[in-house]
Amino acid sequence: MRYQNATAYRFLAPYLLIFSIFWLWPIIDSFLISFQATRTVPWRFSPTFNWGRLIGDPAFFNALKNTLLILVIQVPVMITLAIVMAVLLNSPLLKARGLFRFAFFAPVVVGEVAYSAVFRLMFNLDYGIINKLLNSVGLPSIDWFSNVTPAMAVIMIAVTWRWAGYNAIILLAGLQSIPQDVYEAATLDRVSKLKQFIYITLPLLKPIIVFCAVLSIIGTMQLFTEPFLITERGGPGGGTETLGLLLYRQGFRSLNFGYASAIAYTMAGLAIAISLVQLWLTRDPK
Amino acid sequence: MAGVLLNNVVKRFGDFEIIHGASLDIADGEFVVFVGPSGCGKSTLLRMIAGLEDISGGEIAIGGKTVNDVEPADRGIAMVFQSYALYPHMSVEQNLSFGLRMNGNPKADTDRRVKKAAEILHITDLMARRPRQLSGGQRQRVAIGRAIVREPQVFLFDEPLSNLDAELRVQMRVEISRLHKELGTTMIYVTHDQIEAMTLADRIVVLRGGHVEQIGRPLDLYSDPDNQFVAGFVGSPKMNFITARVLERGASGVTVELAGGTRLTQPLNGPAPEPGSKVVVGVRPEHFGHAGKGDADLSVTIDVVEHLGGTSFLYASTAAGDDIVIQRDAAEVSDAPEITVSIRKSYLFDDKGRRLR
Amino acid sequence: MSSRSASKLGRSIALHLFLTPLALIWLFPLWMMVIFSTMPDRGIFSPSIELLPHGNFLDNVNNLQRDTNFIGAIGISVSVAVTYTFLSVMLTSMAGWALARYQFFGKGLVVAIILGTITLPYAVVLIPQFIMVARDFKLANTWVALIVPPLFNSLGVLFMRQAFSMMPHELFDAARVEGVKEWRIFLFVALPLARPMLAALAIILFLASWNNYLWPLLINSKPGAMTAPVALGTLIGLTKVSWGGIMAGAVMLTAPMLVVFVLLQRHFIAGIAAGAIK
Repeated sequence: MRYQNATAYRFLAPYLLIFSIFWLWPIIDSFLISFQATRTVPWRFSPTFNWGRLIGDPAFFNALKNTLLILVIQVPVMITLAIVMAVLLNSPLLKARGLFRFAFFAPVVVGEVAYSAVFRLMFNLDYGIINKLLNSVGLPSIDWFSNVTPAMAVIMIAVTWRWAGYNAIILLAGLQSIPQDVYEAATLDRVSKLKQFIYITLPLLKPIIVFCAVLSIIGTMQLFTEPFLITERGGPGGGTETLGLLLYRQGFRSLNFGYASAIAYTMAGLAIAISLVQLWLTRDPK
Repeated sequence: MAGVLLNNVVKRFGDFEIIHGASLDIADGEFVVFVGPSGCGKSTLLRMIAGLEDISGGEIAIGGKTVNDVEPADRGIAMVFQSYALYPHMSVEQNLSFGLRMNGNPKADTDRRVKKAAEILHITDLMARRPRQLSGGQRQRVAIGRAIVREPQVFLFDEPLSNLDAELRVQMRVEISRLHKELGTTMIYVTHDQIEAMTLADRIVVLRGGHVEQIGRPLDLYSDPDNQFVAGFVGSPKMNFITARVLERGASGVTVELAGGTRLTQPLNGPAPEPGSKVVVGVRPEHFGHAGKGDADLSVTIDVVEHLGGTSFLYASTAAGDDIVIQRDAAEVSDAPEITVSIRKSYLFDDKGRRLR
Repeated sequence: MSSRSASKLGRSIALHLFLTPLALIWLFPLWMMVIFSTMPDRGIFSPSIELLPHGNFLDNVNNLQRDTNFIGAIGISVSVAVTYTFLSVMLTSMAGWALARYQFFGKGLVVAIILGTITLPYAVVLIPQFIMVARDFKLANTWVALIVPPLFNSLGVLFMRQAFSMMPHELFDAARVEGVKEWRIFLFVALPLARPMLAALAIILFLASWNNYLWPLLINSKPGAMTAPVALGTLIGLTKVSWGGIMAGAVMLTAPMLVVFVLLQRHFIAGIAAGAIK
């Protein structure tokens, strides 16, 4: 191959231009802003103003705790569910495959606002269909949005409903790339279906599972729309406030850009840590 | 019309040199074949002539003009690729005319060239089809047709027949030969198949590990190889190599002793290796004769016999364990497990594979 | 019946017994969205269980239009998504082509940047992006603000690089030997061959733009400049608002995408499976 710098950069120019203006500079700028006191005009440099506030701010730790709690429960449940969906959708015994695929994959196209509205209505205390169904089998109504635990549950259910199928699509593609003859050989060796799943499917699928997990973690870490719309700005009483919501309130309600940037960089730090874990998990065995 | 000159051409990828100074003078109208095992650099050399690879050192000239810094399109070459590289979304006609259309060639002239190429290759009936509706041989013709419409000074072929089955390969080989006669244009052809090289070439360039091993006419390479590699590469089945030891140098040449005691004397003009040093005796399967009717006799044990009809191949081993192949007329093959054959013609190589002559 | 086919039948029944209720649960929110959108508000807020559609959809659309100019917002959303998709497909496929086809100085760095941004939270660039677009460029409440900043997208470039890498490079070399200029090779050879991948990418990008919420919420908050999801979002949580109308809006946002999904499922799944965008 010949070196073709001029031609290559002509094709890359528009992309790199957009990157430089709207990503590269903001990444740097955000870091710089996090060291500025932005409540005063003009802004002034003060390394401790935001970061000092951050480490002593109960609102920040509340949001961090909620975010991590959602992460730790929702992501494993969703990934497991996605694996189950993918494996079962891949079964040669399945009839009406198209209908099942539609059922699980359809949420992928539903926008955050649309589904937040539906979930909010479905879990309404007095008139929500969920409570009506609970009552019809003799169970009491649950006041989903006035207590922290059920409110968190609704957020997790909503996110899982929206994204499980998305991950199942990626996993299904991974499953279909595993050559069929591996399973045929195992069947001839009298390896049961369950053992085939544990000893063949899962190890071969591991890099894709990790990829899904990392994308899901990074997505959930920035969770904003669901607590913003479903649980009414992180209610009850900040019980479902996430880092994404705190950042929004600090940055765009209080216009405290410095503090919001510090929160953003905390999220970036978490993301980098998670990426490193991913690299470690999917490293080539020596 | 133009010749091609390679002057000490070098190719490096980073610190890794893969062509170590190739020099070659190709006359106008000549058919030259680059042949060698995979990884020998033959395709790279061709792509350097085409301009698809940078030249790290040396010079390439086409028609007397240095082209090191000339774009591929301006070198007066056309290239036929191994995978045919037909545009799958265009018809045969569009495939043939694409390059000319894109460069604003007048439509009348484009049509004329396309029509002429189609006639030469007998693909006039296929013009409206897409590549995937064609057989392998037809695709190959279209790929060659696309080269012809450029009316190049030099045709470059990169293993064009390697994707075809054996029968079609023979057919297309003849076709390409005919084309060369008809057009009289310089052609450079890369292959790993020595039979293609032998049958097509005016001259063959044998490459190995980025070195030019020998350049010559096909029959010269066969009858007078410069080294053990060329001797083994040209000819089918391969030349047999039997290890031996130098005994003495006499007036009539050098005498060597094969493992097992057989002595063989070879005429020698150049310097002889020290007595006692290791050499290799090369004998082509077709150069074994009946006992007593050659330069020396050799006793072998027969392992397997393959009958091809008119001729048979005897797979045998010598007392010292060298595996050899002997070609015989089928009528002359007996069931005897051990036979003695004569060596009618042989070649001598030193321990570095250089020919001793 | 042999024991072999009997056990196969047993496994098949177990599979469907498990998967069918799960599929119904998964369809339930979408079904309820449709039901709610066809019910009058007093029906939604009544104690009875309603699981079948009524006939109030058009009334609900009128209610929604009274609460906010939703039709206008849809118009903005469509125009923005179409423009964004076209520009983004061009941008990402050009960049993907450069990475797949050429050796050039700094290639490793460009690839590292793209890989690095995949796992970088969007939150990090959000605030400076907002300050720049709203305060420095004074572009708040314009189409440019909605379209241009989201144009950078790393997974799409990787997807297109992969698509072009998988094409036989001899094809492009052949065109080059014929004297075809590189941009023409890109336009007339590479892009037509990449049509299925471009379709997948376009669908995913269109969907992302259509459903995008946070950035349009921040940058185009003025009534009349809002996209449809933002306009709908402003109604959620208000007291004197028609919930039937909100649900009709949700259906109008979702139904076209569902139709596209059903018609172009193959491309959709290809795009997501390649991790084109999240």
